[in-house]
Amino acid sequence: MPPLRRSCCALLLLASLGEPLVAESQSLAPRQLQLAAAPEQVSLRRPTAERLKALRSQRELQYEMEPVPQTSAWDSFWYRFRRWLGRLLNRPAYQHGWRYLVYGAFLVAFVFIVLRLLKVDLTGAFGRNPQRMPLAYTTEGEDIHAVDFPARIAEAEAAGDYRLAVRLGFLSVLKQLTDRGLLTWRPEKTNADYLAEVPAGPLHAAFGQVARQFEYAWYGELPLTAAQYALAREARLALLQLLTPHAA
Amino acid sequence: MENDFADLGSTSSLPPDSPQPAAPFSPRADFSRLQASADAIRRELGKVIVGQQALIDLLLTAILADGHVLLEGVPGVAKTLTAKLLARTLDVPFSRIQFTPDMMPSDVLGTSIFRPNSAEFEFRPGPIFASVVLIDEINRAPAKTQSALFEVMEERHITQDGTTYPMQEPFLVLATQNPIEQEGTYRLPEAQLDRFLFKINVGYPTTAEEVAILQGHHAGFGGTPLEAVSTVLSAADIRALRQQVRQQHVEPKLLEYIAQLVGNTRAHKALYLGASPRASLALLNGAKALSALRGRDFVTPEDVQFLAPAVLRHRILLTPEREMEGTAPDDVVKQIIQQLEVPR
Repeated sequence: MPPLRRSCCALLLLASLGEPLVAESQSLAPRQLQLAAAPEQVSLRRPTAERLKALRSQRELQYEMEPVPQTSAWDSFWYRFRRWLGRLLNRPAYQHGWRYLVYGAFLVAFVFIVLRLLKVDLTGAFGRNPQRMPLAYTTEGEDIHAVDFPARIAEAEAAGDYRLAVRLGFLSVLKQLTDRGLLTWRPEKTNADYLAEVPAGPLHAAFGQVARQFEYAWYGELPLTAAQYALAREARLALLQLLTPHAA
Repeated sequence: MENDFADLGSTSSLPPDSPQPAAPFSPRADFSRLQASADAIRRELGKVIVGQQALIDLLLTAILADGHVLLEGVPGVAKTLTAKLLARTLDVPFSRIQFTPDMMPSDVLGTSIFRPNSAEFEFRPGPIFASVVLIDEINRAPAKTQSALFEVMEERHITQDGTTYPMQEPFLVLATQNPIEQEGTYRLPEAQLDRFLFKINVGYPTTAEEVAILQGHHAGFGGTPLEAVSTVLSAADIRALRQQVRQQHVEPKLLEYIAQLVGNTRAHKALYLGASPRASLALLNGAKALSALRGRDFVTPEDVQFLAPAVLRHRILLTPEREMEGTAPDDVVKQIIQQLEVPR
């Protein structure tokens, strides 16, 4: 573009921009004057009562918070859970495969709850040590407060199982001594522990004899005849007779 | 549970003041010879050793159970002296090895030397070839030398240059170590610790016992103690007594009790390493020997509980957290015992 033509274009551009600015400034001046002279002529418009009532009834113009209904923690939890679930299920990603992950999670949770209800120990599958498995002890027999000793001893005697009868007789003695507060029954205690708790005297000696007979019959697996069992039974009954003054 | 300081002298799991058993509730085997021998050994050792009855009784149990013993205690509590005196009561070959940091396996086991006359190698047995071997300060030898004891302690023979040399029965290793001093020592590998039947903690004597030690020394008895001890048992006697111990009766539920007791060490939260099945065997053999020493022909839960700390304390490893808290292996063993129902 030649220099002369460039200069002409610049002048034309300036002229086109400057003209409205001047016109604007000229139009502002009379309006300011009019406002300065207007205050005494201003009349306040007040809405009528009907108009105010109509405005107040419009929902858009009510700015007070609606009272939140009182809900329990359980209802609140389920409300939030449903809201979270709804959001999750409405996600676009859920429609493409994530839903299978959610299905899997629900399935695992369901299986876990079922296994817990069935008391199946799966800790070993997760690399942890499994819980101790109980031995095949006759724990019912060990709970001396849950056994009907007279009936069980009579059964053992009738069946000729004198070894078992000696054992049950000894356990019944432990129960009697426990009931009278002469010893404290605990499954992990040994006979020596119990003997140490029994006060010195005839009762101590009698209990020592019964305990020894039990050890030979039970731990020593001594085969007993009826006559030999009679000795053990006699010793047990003699001990129980000694308990009578303690009971009184 | 002060097992290491309890008296094993009673003839039952029940205290000695209990009435003596009458037939049929009496032993079906004759333990008079065994108990007379044990009493004689106690008497002989009592000529020199004041107190330490639990240590002596556990050593007797180990001899009958055919097991090795690790004695741990601070210096000056008669660990080595007791072991030497016990060896004197047994009429069997005895050797003593003082472990040092520069000791080599061949110094213990023996070595083959070349005979120019016959142009052949000849095996020269080391000091391990004895019936009672006292290894003093076993943790002063490096792991290489300690590992040389693996085969001989477990399998009762050594293999050198392709030839196996069996040990003669009885073969008993009595080792000592100091728990306090750490400089210049090497911690025993777990595999070797597992080969000891018992680890016995040798404690300080009571004040009364210490006064008795001082009185004896002041009266001039401290100079020549070893010669005062006589031989009680021969190798044949020991073999016969062990044979009797092997026949002790063990009720099946007690086997389960032992297995459960040892198995619970493997699941305990405070333990990094539990005891191996070898510990179960040790507990069984020890309980059989102890019951025989107590004059019974069967094992009771009392025997098992009594020996559990000595059998288990060196076979379990505490977690670092519990170790820093100051928990002792005996505490964990005691807890395990208390949580386990006694078969009855």
